[in-house]
Amino acid sequence: MGLDYKLVLWNKHKKTYDKIIALGMLLYLVVFVALTLALNPETTAETMIIRAFGSLAILMLHIILVIGPLSRLNPQFLPILYNRRHLGVSMFLAALVHGAFSIIQFHTLGDVNPIYAIITSNMDYGSLTNFPFQVLGFLALLILFYMASTSHDFFLKNLSPKIWKGLHMMVYLAYGLILMHVFLGAFQQETSPFTIGIIIVGFITVTSLHLITAFKESKIDKFNSEKNSEGWLEVCEVDEIPNDRAKIFTVGNERVAIFKYEGKLSAIHNVCKHQGGPLGEGKIVDGCVTCPWHGYQYLPHNGQSPPPFTEKVATYELRLNGKKVYINPNGFEEGTEVQPVTC
Amino acid sequence: MDTIIMVFLIILVAYFSLGLLFGFYFIFLGASKVDPLMEDSKKKVRLLLLPGVIATWPFLIGKLFKSKPVD
Ligand code: HEM
Ligand code: FES
Repeated sequence: MGLDYKLVLWNKHKKTYDKIIALGMLLYLVVFVALTLALNPETTAETMIIRAFGSLAILMLHIILVIGPLSRLNPQFLPILYNRRHLGVSMFLAALVHGAFSIIQFHTLGDVNPIYAIITSNMDYGSLTNFPFQVLGFLALLILFYMASTSHDFFLKNLSPKIWKGLHMMVYLAYGLILMHVFLGAFQQETSPFTIGIIIVGFITVTSLHLITAFKESKIDKFNSEKNSEGWLEVCEVDEIPNDRAKIFTVGNERVAIFKYEGKLSAIHNVCKHQGGPLGEGKIVDGCVTCPWHGYQYLPHNGQSPPPFTEKVATYELRLNGKKVYINPNGFEEGTEVQPVTC
Repeated sequence: MDTIIMVFLIILVAYFSLGLLFGFYFIFLGASKVDPLMEDSKKKVRLLLLPGVIATWPFLIGKLFKSKPVD
């Protein structure tokens, strides 16, 4: 949404979040260095930098991975989700400092190319306890580079949302590689039990939150209802939908959001055209369905973004019988005007 | 093992060098052909896109060929 591309789509909240990210990172580094100096005064500056930035990066990665499920379980986390992209890019920069310093400290002594040195200085690929764990870190960093460098909306649009999404799903591959990087590295450098502990707790948290969310959403998907004789589906009672909000249902394999606003009901496809955000978890703001992820807007009665924007989502026909809401599971073309039902 | 590593590295270097060459052409000239929003975008925005273009140039080059010439 916009007529030319901007560096960043700034608004007041985003600036605040970015300050929080920057201050949080700084605070972490200061505390890390202070603790290291207190507990392990003989640690060299390079090692301190490598460890501080490596652990900062993996901490941030955990936060990034839990925001998605958390904000689906509790909308209060949504504002962090909007800012996840900046968190991702900052995490990449932290990982880059860590990787760059490791390469400088361990691999630039000889006269071979340092990247070549990472891969070949230890050829013990068959070993568990002496595996060249740096290679795993390098591959993970490469994936993080892909995600950070394509995080701008330009790439979302021009690589196509499908490829972009695929690229960004590789974060789970990167996460796996980094876990191996840290665990296999722990056999060689005595990584502190503290770091290992944090990572185990983090891993359990990330997986269980993903499982809980998947379970909760599968219940929405299992929603079953009576079809009436003309093929309309009974979905709920009017009173179950809060004002200026929606309830989400799966009809004919598609998720549909039914909104209640100004005494009317309208149904649109639940998937935002921007990055697939759940429109039904958003609110009606200024008469428009507003995506909870980044604020794209759609008119509820025709699924179109207000001019000059051109995004469109599919619309659905509703019917009211007493208090019961019925939906026609065959949606209309994107952007088709449908008369809202009054309730 | 040694040859696998060499091949991997050569591909990596070739990929990123071609990406760099293509990248400069694309951010200043090519991008406006595939995306009208780029025409009025500032230089800073274009430079911000460079790393991503270097990373994903094979996808973008296809788009560039498919795009219709604009007048
Ligand atoms: C080129 C890429 C990379 C290289 C060469 C590299 C190298 C290293 C080395 C040598 C260590 C051991 C440091 C020590 O304990 O003295 C290490 C540990 C670690 N690395 Fe990496 N790494 C890379 C990428 C990454 C990435 C992308 C992440 C995460 C986002 C990461 C996270 C960590 C963590 C959490 C540790 C443990 C730190 C600690 O001991 O507290 N690394 N890495
Ligand atoms: S997904 Fe970004 S605004 Fe909807």
